[in-house]
Amino acid sequence: MSTFIQIILRSLETGSIYALAALGIIIIYRTSYTTNFAQGVVAMFNTFVVTFLFNKFGLPLWLAVIGGILSAILTGFLIDVLILRHTKNVSPVAKQIITLGLIMIVLGLAPIFFGVDPLRLPRLIESGDLGILGASISYNGLFNIALGLAIMTGMFYILQRTKWGLAIRTTASNEYVARLMGVPTKNVTMAAWGVAGVLGVIAGVMTAPMTSVTLNLMDEVQITALVACVLGGFQTFHGPVIGAYIMGIVRNLLLFYVSSVWGGQILYILILIFIVFRPYGLIGKKIVKKV
Amino acid sequence: MSKMENHVLTVDGLSIAFGGLKAVDDLSFDIRDKEIYGLIGPNGAGKTTVFNCITQFYKPDKGDLRFKGHGDQIVDLTTKPVHDIIRQGLVRTFQNVELIRELSIIDNVLIGGHIDFEANTLSQALKLPKARKEEKKYREEAEKILEDLGILDRKDMLVGGQPYGILKKVEFARTLMARPKLIILDEPAAGLNDSETIDLARLIKRIRDQYDCSILLVEHDMRLVMDVCDRICAINFGKLLAIGTPKEIQANKAVQAAYLGVE
Amino acid sequence: MKAKKNIFQKHPAIGFILFGLLLALIPTLAEMGILKNGYVTTIGGTLIYAIAALGLNILLGWSGLISLGTAGFMGLAAYMSAYLTVDLNLPFEVSFFLAVLIPTLIGILVGLVSLKIEGLYLAIATLAVAEVLRKTFEELGKYTGGFSGKSADYPTLFGLFELDRTTTFYFIIFVLVIIMILTSNMMNGRLGRALNAMRGSEAAAQAMGVNLLTHRLIAFALATIFASVAGVLYVHFVKFSYPSTWSLAMSLNFLAIIIIGGLRSIYGTVLGAFIVYAVPDMFLKQIPFFEDLSYVLNGVLIILVIIFYPNGLISIGYDIRKLFRKLTKGGAKNE
Repeated sequence: MSTFIQIILRSLETGSIYALAALGIIIIYRTSYTTNFAQGVVAMFNTFVVTFLFNKFGLPLWLAVIGGILSAILTGFLIDVLILRHTKNVSPVAKQIITLGLIMIVLGLAPIFFGVDPLRLPRLIESGDLGILGASISYNGLFNIALGLAIMTGMFYILQRTKWGLAIRTTASNEYVARLMGVPTKNVTMAAWGVAGVLGVIAGVMTAPMTSVTLNLMDEVQITALVACVLGGFQTFHGPVIGAYIMGIVRNLLLFYVSSVWGGQILYILILIFIVFRPYGLIGKKIVKKV
Repeated sequence: MSKMENHVLTVDGLSIAFGGLKAVDDLSFDIRDKEIYGLIGPNGAGKTTVFNCITQFYKPDKGDLRFKGHGDQIVDLTTKPVHDIIRQGLVRTFQNVELIRELSIIDNVLIGGHIDFEANTLSQALKLPKARKEEKKYREEAEKILEDLGILDRKDMLVGGQPYGILKKVEFARTLMARPKLIILDEPAAGLNDSETIDLARLIKRIRDQYDCSILLVEHDMRLVMDVCDRICAINFGKLLAIGTPKEIQANKAVQAAYLGVE
Repeated sequence: MKAKKNIFQKHPAIGFILFGLLLALIPTLAEMGILKNGYVTTIGGTLIYAIAALGLNILLGWSGLISLGTAGFMGLAAYMSAYLTVDLNLPFEVSFFLAVLIPTLIGILVGLVSLKIEGLYLAIATLAVAEVLRKTFEELGKYTGGFSGKSADYPTLFGLFELDRTTTFYFIIFVLVIIMILTSNMMNGRLGRALNAMRGSEAAAQAMGVNLLTHRLIAFALATIFASVAGVLYVHFVKFSYPSTWSLAMSLNFLAIIIIGGLRSIYGTVLGAFIVYAVPDMFLKQIPFFEDLSYVLNGVLIILVIIFYPNGLISIGYDIRKLFRKLTKGGAKNE
C-alpha cells in the first residue's frame, strides 16, 4: 500500500509538471488559435538560461530562476511580436508549421549559446523527506506539487475573477468580437505568450533536477502535455490540466506495475484508443461548425 | 411514406435546438417539381439553419425530410451522412463562395462531378484508358456548362483573383455538374448590384427550365425573391409565418410585421 | 494566369523522365572527376528524402494535414527491410513489399483513430506514435540492433543482379521518377481535386460528395507508403540505420523541404530536398557551427516562406517565367 501511495505522490509531482506545460499550450491555443509545438523547446532554452546563470555566473538558485522567468517572458513577447503578429493571413495549419519552424530555430540556437554538454541543475529544495502514510516524499517534491497547485489555482482565479481573465476568455472565445468590444487583444496575445513561457520555464526547472539539462529536456513533457490536451479536450482551460494530472498518475502506475521500460509508450497508445470512444476528450464537447 | 406525387422535397415538423435555444421550431413546407421556391425571413430567423438541416450539415432533432431524388427514389435525408446528400440529387451553394483558390475554374467545376467518377485511385494513378476516358468526358461536360454560363474563356484561370460575379457563376457551374434535382441557393444576390441581380434572376429561371430541376432560394433581397419565386415560405424565430405566392406573402400582415419596414 | 499547354504540361511524365535521365549522369560525372565522389551518396540520399517528402506533400500540401511521424515510419520500414533481407534472408522484392505494407497498415490504424476528429489530432497522434517507434528502435535489440544500429546491403534484384552504389543510385532515380509520375497523375485527377477541396473548404467538399474521413485516410496512407519506400531505399543505399537517425528533427526537415521547396509542387519538393540536404552537405559543411546554423536557417526559412512566399521557392521559377513573358511580349496583357 505504501508503495502505491509513494507512486501517487511522485505522480502528483510529475503531474504538476505536465499540468503547467499543458496549461501553457492551451492558453496559446485558445488565444492565438494555434497549437504551440515549440512550447517544450522554448522552455528548455529558458531552463538553460537558468542553469547558466546558476553555474557559470554563480547566481543563487532563486535569482537564477527569476532570471529564467524574465527570459521566458522576453522570449514569449518576441515570438508574438516578431512572428505571430505578421500571420494575419496565414491559415491555422500554417501557424502550426510556424511553431514547428520555431522548434528548428531554438534547437539550432541552443547548442550555439549553451554548448553541447549536459548540465546539472539542483533541486529547489536540496534535501529532506516527509513521511506520509508509510511512504516518503522529498520536500522538493512537496514543494513542486504545492507550487504547481498554487500556480494553477492562481491562473484559474485570474481567468475567472479578474478583468484580465475576462479579456483572455473573451479573446479565446472570439477574437474579432473581442476587439470590437474594446478588448486589447494584441496585449492579450502578448501576455498569453509571456505567461506560457513562464509556465514552461517553471516546468523545466522542476524537471531538470530529475535528469540533466540537455536539448531533449522537455521532449517527454511536451508530448505528454499535447496528449493531455487531447485527453482533456481543447475546448476548456481546465480539461488539459486535469488530463495532465491523470496522465502523470497513470504513467507512473504503468511504469511500476506493468513495464518500467514501456510504461510511457503504453500510456500514449491507451489514450489513442480512448480517443476512439470519446473523440472530444474527457471534458470537451463537439463544436458545431457554422456553415 | 407518401408518394410525393409532384413534390421533390417534403419538410415535415423540422425542429432543432442549440443548447436550449430553438433555432427551428416545427417547420413544415414542401417544394414541387420544377418549382422556384423562396425561403425568407429577417436576420436570425433561422433560414440558414433550415437548409443546413436539410443538407445534413446539422442533424435535426425532430422532423421528416423526404426527398425525391434520382430515378424518382424517395429518400429520408436524415438517414444520410452529409457527404452523401449530393448523391441523392440535392446540391447547395455557399454564401461565402467556397471555391478552391489555387485551382483553375474548370478544376473547381470538376469537383462538382466528384461522385460521378467511377475509376478507382489506382487506375487514375496509372492513367489507365478507363480513367483517361472518364476525365475527358467530364471535362467536356464541365466545359459545356461553363459555356452555357458564358465563362468558358476563363476555364483555365485560377479562381484566386477572379471578380466576385464570376465566382458566383463558377459556383453555379459546380452545382450543375451533379445534374441535381434540387439546388439550394444560399443568398446568391449577396454582394451583387442591381443589374447583376437582374442577370441573376434571369439565370435562375433559365437554369430551372434548362436543367429540369427545382430551386430553393434562401435570400434577403426581396426584389429577387418576388421576381423569380413561384411560391415563398416566410419564417421568423424558426417558426412558420406564411406560405404562398409572392403576392400573397407581400400582403400577409404577419410577414409585414416581422420585417417592419423592409419592403 | 492562363496556362498554356506545352508538351510538359500535357504529359508531365516526359518531364520527369528527362529529369531522371539528367540525374543518371551524376555517377558518370563523378567517375570523370567533375563531381566529387561523395556527392553520389549525398545526392542519392537527397533523392530518397525527396520521395518521403513527396508523401508528406500529398498529406500537407494537397490535403492540409500535418504529420510529425514521417521519420518514424521511414525508420520502421528501414529496420524491417534490413531485418528481412539480412536476418531472414528474404529476397529484396518480398522485403520491399512487406516493409512498405506493414508500416502503412499501422499508419492507417493511427489515421483511423485521429482523423475522425480534426486534422490537429493527427499531428499530435503522429508525434506520440513516432515516440513509441523511437523507443521500439532502441529497445527491440534483437530486431533492430538497439543503439548499435542495423546494417544492410545494396539490393539484389530478381535474386540475380547484385547492385553496387552506382546501380543502386540508378534504382533510386527509377523509383523517384515513378513516384513523381504517380503523384502527378493522382493529384491532377479526381483524387487531387477532392484533396484540394478538403483542404480548401471542408463544408464545400462534403457538399460535393467528398467523404472527409476516407480521403484523409487515403492521404495519410499515401504519405506513409512513400515514407516506407524511402526507408527501404535508405537502408539499402546508406547501408545502416541507427535509432537516432529517425528523430523529430528529421521529420521537421521533411516539413522544411516541402514548405521551402513548394507545397503541391513535385519539382518543388525535389528542389526543397536539395536546399535542405544536398546544398549544406556538399558546400557548406566546412563552416564551424554550420550544422546547427543550417538547422536554424531551415526554421527561419520556413517562417519567412510561409509569411511572405506561401507558394514556396519553386514559384520563383514561375515568377521569372512570367516576368520573361511580359518582357518579351512587350507588355501584352497576360489575361
